Amino acid sequence: MATAGLTARKVRTLLIMLGPILGVSAIVAAIGINESSKGHLKAKLQELGTDLIVVNASAGLGFGQDPVIEAAAVARVGRLPDVAAVTGTRQLSDIVTVPFAGAEDYYRAFPVPVIATGTDLPHTLDVPLVSGRFLNDFDEASGARVAVIGRDLADEYGYLAGEARTIELNGLEYGVVGVLDWVLLEPSMDSAVFLTFTAAVNDWNLDDPDPSRLYVRAPEHTALVAKEIPTVVSLGGPDGANASVPTDLLDAQSQVDESLNNLTKMMGGLALIVGGVGIANVMSISVIQRSSEIGIRRALGHSRGTIAVQFLFEALVVGVFGGILGALVGAGVVWGVASQRGYTMVLSVAGLVGWALVSVGVAVVAGLYPSSKAARLEPLETLRLG
Amino acid sequence: MTDSTSLEEATEDNGVLALEGVSRVYGTEVLVRALDDVSLEIRAGEFLSIVGPSGSGKSTMLGLLGVLDLPTEGAIRVRGTDVTRLADAERSRLRGEAIGFVFQQFHLIPHLTALGNVETALLYRGLSPRERRSRAMYALEQVDLGARHNHRPVQLSGGEQQRVAIARAISTDPGVVLADEPTGALDSQNAEKVLQIFDDLQSPERAICIVTHDLHVADSARRKISMLDGQIVADELLGAGAGS
Repeated sequence: MATAGLTARKVRTLLIMLGPILGVSAIVAAIGINESSKGHLKAKLQELGTDLIVVNASAGLGFGQDPVIEAAAVARVGRLPDVAAVTGTRQLSDIVTVPFAGAEDYYRAFPVPVIATGTDLPHTLDVPLVSGRFLNDFDEASGARVAVIGRDLADEYGYLAGEARTIELNGLEYGVVGVLDWVLLEPSMDSAVFLTFTAAVNDWNLDDPDPSRLYVRAPEHTALVAKEIPTVVSLGGPDGANASVPTDLLDAQSQVDESLNNLTKMMGGLALIVGGVGIANVMSISVIQRSSEIGIRRALGHSRGTIAVQFLFEALVVGVFGGILGALVGAGVVWGVASQRGYTMVLSVAGLVGWALVSVGVAVVAGLYPSSKAARLEPLETLRLG
Repeated sequence: MTDSTSLEEATEDNGVLALEGVSRVYGTEVLVRALDDVSLEIRAGEFLSIVGPSGSGKSTMLGLLGVLDLPTEGAIRVRGTDVTRLADAERSRLRGEAIGFVFQQFHLIPHLTALGNVETALLYRGLSPRERRSRAMYALEQVDLGARHNHRPVQLSGGEQQRVAIARAISTDPGVVLADEPTGALDSQNAEKVLQIFDDLQSPERAICIVTHDLHVADSARRKISMLDGQIVADELLGAGAGS
């Protein structure tokens, strides 16, 4: 009977619950997504290692050409004392890749990056092959038309492990010799085709086998090596290069995410407060609407305290259900985002309970004013006599 | 009290409700003296009516008799206790125990069933839900509405709603039932039925007090209090009691 006032007006009850629901779900979702992405980022950082340097050729004084890093400069970088591995890559343009002849119409819509690469890319990036082998020195020396494809492209083309199969690059057939696993650092590689530089020069009019990007693994003094590389590449000449450690970027990204999440949390907190004001507002109106009921209860012997407790109890119920629903909605959002982005969902049960309790607290505080207003109503004012 | 007992002979211990030199003044700048030094005792077993034109002070008197309001001067005694000296919680408890109310507009809680409405009067009395339910059902059966206990006010006619209100008033077994124009919102047939129920409900332990401006209703009681300008102008016994 104590909750009859709430169940009798379901839409209104749902509306006043919306405040706590939105507030708690926003906070839970913000924290949950933050934690999940942090966990994901940590795993990613661990997987990538914090010792990988990416070097991009930057425009020097050359005109009208894509910036490249000379093969000699690549060798110089490789000779640096702390460098364990270095691989150059260069993306080729204007190549339409299809799984078989005649499939252009369907597959032209999906641009596939074609990358000329050194043979030790899997070693440098520390990424294994899902099947087959990577490009080797023989392929490089002979300029054989062989290719390795990214894992997503293999799925897209329905490639079966071990299958003897070709793909067509602008009508030229290349034999697929292996599938590279997902590259967390460069997701674009997951749908790419990898060729040797020799094949790129022979088949795709590349002037010279110079890469535009280097991947450098430097387990010791990574930051220092990253700092040295531009000088080693240019040697005071016109060719420039920018070196960065992607994990640092990821770290910076996580900082940005943190500020965004703090903002979301603040907005959630604001929604809770606005929700509290909404509860106070709607319950105050409810007190006026139910003044006759309050009057009759007073006439039946219910004290001011009993009336106040009844309204406070209703606020409490709103807070409890709003909090629980909000926590569930928030958890649902975290689950949705985590599964969409491939994160491992991180949610603390104590956090869920804690925020639901905050919602209860907000609702009860919001219910104080209408409750005392209800308790102060004089029965004679609400029961018209005579 | 029986009809043959004179007012003066009534013993003090069977007085369930009394106003002693009660005045009620409303307003702060312009003072309106709605009730002026009124004394009245209602004893167990009485069936009385309070009658008077609009503005005579009968509603103010009902509010004070029902302990819904407090007097500016004087005392209200419920079972001998001066309620003007009590705190709200104690006063409310005493009101709930000793007094039952029936209002002109029924004042049923719309989202509760007939049974739920009657049960409302039995809340916070230390009764188990089962006990509460059985007492509420018994009260509904007394007004011949047991079969309709599950209906909400909107599903009941005016006369039936008033009977639910009467069941609610008697469910706590109060010493006095105060009824404010109980037939005012009813047609003559339902009004007669309601008056008959009041007549049936009267017992040596329970007083019935009807406030009305309808002389026909007032004359159905055994004792009639007439009011004018905030004062009692006549206190007469009717019917069998009139001769004593």
